[in-house]
Amino acid sequence: MSVVVIGLSHRSAPVELRERFAFAGDKIPLALQELRTAGIATEATILSTCNRVEIYAVTPLAADAAFAELKKFLIVHHAYDGELGDELYTMAEPHSLHHLFKVAAGLDSMVIGETEIFGQLKQAYDLAFTHKHTGARLNKAFQRAFNVAKHIRTETNIQRGSVSVMSAAVELAEKLFSSLGEHEVLVIGAGETSEKTARALLSRGAGGVIVTNRSPERATALATELGGRTVPFEHWPEEFDKIDIAISSTAAPHHILDRATLEPLMKRRKHRPLLLIDIAVPRDIAPDVSDLDNVYLYNVDDLQSIASDYLKLRQEEVARCEKIIAEKVAALQEANQFRP
Amino acid sequence: MAWFTDRQCFLLAVVFYGLSTVYSVFLWRKGFRRDEWLNYLLIAGGVALHTVAMFKRGMTLHSCPVNNLYEATTFLLWALGVACLVYSLLPRFKFLAAFSAPVLFTVGIFALMPSLDPPHGPKPEFSGALRSLHAATSLQSYGAFGLAAVAAGMFLMQRHDLKVHKLRALLSLLPSIQRLGLITFRLVAVGFVLLTIGLIAGAQLPRPAGDRYISDPKVLWSALIWLAYLESLVAYKFFGRTSRRFAGMVIVLFVFLLLTFWITNLYSAMHQQ
Repeated sequence: MSVVVIGLSHRSAPVELRERFAFAGDKIPLALQELRTAGIATEATILSTCNRVEIYAVTPLAADAAFAELKKFLIVHHAYDGELGDELYTMAEPHSLHHLFKVAAGLDSMVIGETEIFGQLKQAYDLAFTHKHTGARLNKAFQRAFNVAKHIRTETNIQRGSVSVMSAAVELAEKLFSSLGEHEVLVIGAGETSEKTARALLSRGAGGVIVTNRSPERATALATELGGRTVPFEHWPEEFDKIDIAISSTAAPHHILDRATLEPLMKRRKHRPLLLIDIAVPRDIAPDVSDLDNVYLYNVDDLQSIASDYLKLRQEEVARCEKIIAEKVAALQEANQFRP
Repeated sequence: MAWFTDRQCFLLAVVFYGLSTVYSVFLWRKGFRRDEWLNYLLIAGGVALHTVAMFKRGMTLHSCPVNNLYEATTFLLWALGVACLVYSLLPRFKFLAAFSAPVLFTVGIFALMPSLDPPHGPKPEFSGALRSLHAATSLQSYGAFGLAAVAAGMFLMQRHDLKVHKLRALLSLLPSIQRLGLITFRLVAVGFVLLTIGLIAGAQLPRPAGDRYISDPKVLWSALIWLAYLESLVAYKFFGRTSRRFAGMVIVLFVFLLLTFWITNLYSAMHQQ
């Protein structure tokens, strides 16, 4: 008996198809029971997230027969009547174990190295384990997968760095200031990205938030949501004495902050660095303010480029991770061979 | 260590500083991406040997070992090394060692020139609490200025990376730009206070008849250094001098100090006694 996997993911299927085959969390134990009762699997775990639906099973059947039965199970269980081709992938050992380890380490994720999948896989395994749908084979495979994921996380740079615009902004703030707790954030224009960036900064301990917007209602709503205060749009430059981080994302067709405006404001700040994050297109902040002392300006392209560079670094680490996984899969298979 | 002379101990310390310099080049090329203990330990090893060297010399003389250029230079380097070890214990400041090592190594090599260390007479020529205070505080101020120059170098590098090579700035483990700016300013301020005390103590020392304190080349040079640092501090704090210019000045002043320190000593009758 060997571990097999059948599933579809963001790599093989569009979201419309993935959502058709998704399992609701509370229905999974029943589905696992069905698989075992039908004799398709002796042990099974179902992983169902927004990016993938996968069944890991230990089957007494030959691999091809098992795949046919598992495919039939998926179609019947979800009452699917459409065409199904390459969207569904199947793997037998050792590829199934290799795939499981890759999924656990975030190597098969949309954002390479992300850690959310680790928690989701652990949850899926715990659910199957609690309902006694796993046995020695799957227990060992999943435990090893979790260990390998932790090992990869500590031994490689696969999870290093910010791969989103928001987290890149937070990381830059941390390079400028010793601790974010003493620094207030000014949000100019209550757009979605600036809101997310402000949230990310607050979650890392930023001292507070001030919101300003042409429409005061929207500013008040966002300030209430973020636990901050508002200032009238025409008065936001006066806040530059107090704040150290400004996120700008207005829909203004021209620069709302230029060198002539900022230069006298910077003199009042007495050498305190100022982080300006301009995520508006067209840009809100004139690029030449970056030449001012203690001003650090980043626009959306800068942040995107940081995120892409980090992603490239992560991709360079994939080969190292693959090597570790190959060794661990071989070790697990060897251990399984000696099992009575 | 009993079988080594004080100069041999200092030579070994310089070897450690040299190893640290070589390793620092490697760290610099890698972009300071790892929290580095090895370099810290190399500097610590060097400072330990350096301390033994100074202790041995001090025990031989029964006074603070600052009687000739070799001793004064090693004292200055020791102050820089100790300050570097202490400040490196701050979070993300371990890379101070990488920036200090080249200064410790190159100036250490220079100090080892035999002509800087002429033999002493049977009694120390340079003794007394006030003289020791003058020499120790003056040399410690140079150490503080040296470390300020190192921090200023880190500040300028981090500033450039944050403006131009953004990913490199994020990947490096250097301290935040805010903290580097603050440390640079504080070190210059500490150095300035120590130099002031050193100069005041020096003015109280007895002089040979006919010698005027203010006309001695070393005193004039020290006054010039004191004024230059005062101007930098005041211009930065009260007249809006940019952080970049302040950091640049701190580096330039320390390089000037290092290059002219020995020359003024040679021309100073008071410091030749």
